[in-house]
Amino acid sequence: MAELYWTSLADLARLIATKEASPVEVVKVHLDRIAAHDATLKSFITVCAEAALEAARQAEAELIAGRPRGPLHGVPIGLKDLYNTAGVRTTGGSKILADAVPAQDATVVARLKAAGAIVLGKLNMHEFAYGPEGLNAHYGHSRNPWDARATRIAGGSSSGSGVAVAAGLVPAALGSDTGGSIRIPASLCGITGLKPTYGRASRAGVLPLARSMDHVGPMARTAADCALLLGPMAGYDPADPTTSVLPVPDYRLALTGDIKGLRVGLLRRFFLEAGVPEVRQAVERAVKTLESLGAVVDEVELPSVNDVAVASFAIVGAEALAYHAQWLRTRAADYQPDVAQRLRMGAFVSGLQYVRGQQARALVRAEVDEALARRDVLLAPATPLAAPLLGENETTLGDGPSDVRSALIRLTRPFNFSGHPACAVPCGFTAAGLPIGMQLVGRPFDEATVLRAADAYQRATDWQARRPPLA
Amino acid sequence: MPQRARAGILPRMTTLDRDALAQWARLAGFEWGAAELEAIAGPLARALESLGRLEQLPLRDVEPLTQYRML
Repeated sequence: MAELYWTSLADLARLIATKEASPVEVVKVHLDRIAAHDATLKSFITVCAEAALEAARQAEAELIAGRPRGPLHGVPIGLKDLYNTAGVRTTGGSKILADAVPAQDATVVARLKAAGAIVLGKLNMHEFAYGPEGLNAHYGHSRNPWDARATRIAGGSSSGSGVAVAAGLVPAALGSDTGGSIRIPASLCGITGLKPTYGRASRAGVLPLARSMDHVGPMARTAADCALLLGPMAGYDPADPTTSVLPVPDYRLALTGDIKGLRVGLLRRFFLEAGVPEVRQAVERAVKTLESLGAVVDEVELPSVNDVAVASFAIVGAEALAYHAQWLRTRAADYQPDVAQRLRMGAFVSGLQYVRGQQARALVRAEVDEALARRDVLLAPATPLAAPLLGENETTLGDGPSDVRSALIRLTRPFNFSGHPACAVPCGFTAAGLPIGMQLVGRPFDEATVLRAADAYQRATDWQARRPPLA
Repeated sequence: MPQRARAGILPRMTTLDRDALAQWARLAGFEWGAAELEAIAGPLARALESLGRLEQLPLRDVEPLTQYRML
């Protein structure tokens, strides 16, 4: 039991259910990990040690009484600090909400607790989720655990979630994804992160960034663990009018390991072409692995994808400002500078441009639907580069120079735009030992196929089994 | 100067007039001083220039997406 902290969520749940491990022991092991490593990693904003131990003792009593709550009984998770938690501050990574204590849990938090999960704490993030680097001036920048010198970014905005899972401080966490905020830190930290279909999981009680682009989803070391978490999270919620009434399948049953005949569309133009050489090579190797498992791979293009960045600026800029306008008038000095700057730029988006952005979005969604009409999933790098250094502003991608922020978000944002489910999966390492991630994109509400493909790939590879030097 | 060479460095306000920006912000309800406007002028000029691309797209008959309730 010495390495319970590297045990998967699914195995922890099984060990607890069979009484081979106690929830108290599992929670203590992870609290010890946080105490040992988080001063360097800065992945937590709030650690709920006492509450987690109390919940673990309760879980143990329920188990002894033969009353397990559900498939997550007694397993600890972390929450990006924009999920409302009853009685526990929810800061959004900000100074403005530093002392904000919600009265109620967000819907998905309540559902995960009802399934037996125990909240270990609230995780660091880019302030108000408005940045793909994962930087935070108020609580410290989360450090990528794959860099022994702690000089590289984790990616964001769900930076703490990516770091804590990668470093074995929690077995799984929730993130949120408006332009890639689950998949970017998953890619840079070498873990698995699923952005479900828009409407699959409720955002009620989750601080918004841009409501028409916001998604919530799981982050874990494997696709199987993401499947385990998504089940209780998903489904209609009257408190979130965007959620779908479609039934929720048992995603665990989809993980057959069999992808014979799976039709995979490789996105080369704009996506693979953007990758630096090591990323391109890793994704090309992943294609060969998928083919060796029986998948049928061809290439496909999304012609309108070049317009995503500008249309996204119009949509996210306007929607983010709509939420922040009052604070921007009265507490502007309390924002970290890059976030204040992005929010201010939203004031210069016209109504005409916002609607044009939403129209361009319809074109992109139709193209993704068309690409998936005769394919089961699309494949692309999740990020075109591995983790940049803190403070690195410029980079060179496979198709030319770019600022780091645009580079990080470039390949993930199209699927926030379109709303399709997308899962980031580790697919290699650079020569410097930094993780490389790819993403699998599926049809709306077909997370099961995305997870089946990701899980089959992970059964055939061991990228997700490697451990970072800072852990 | 090529666009890429300027990236990451706050450019002088050559393409956007500070008074016009201040007026625009004021109409939106924000009283921003020179420092705030100087900080966003460079990236905003580039963003507004690229927003013009949206005008070139054949969007007249496209129903805007609002995402609500895909199914």
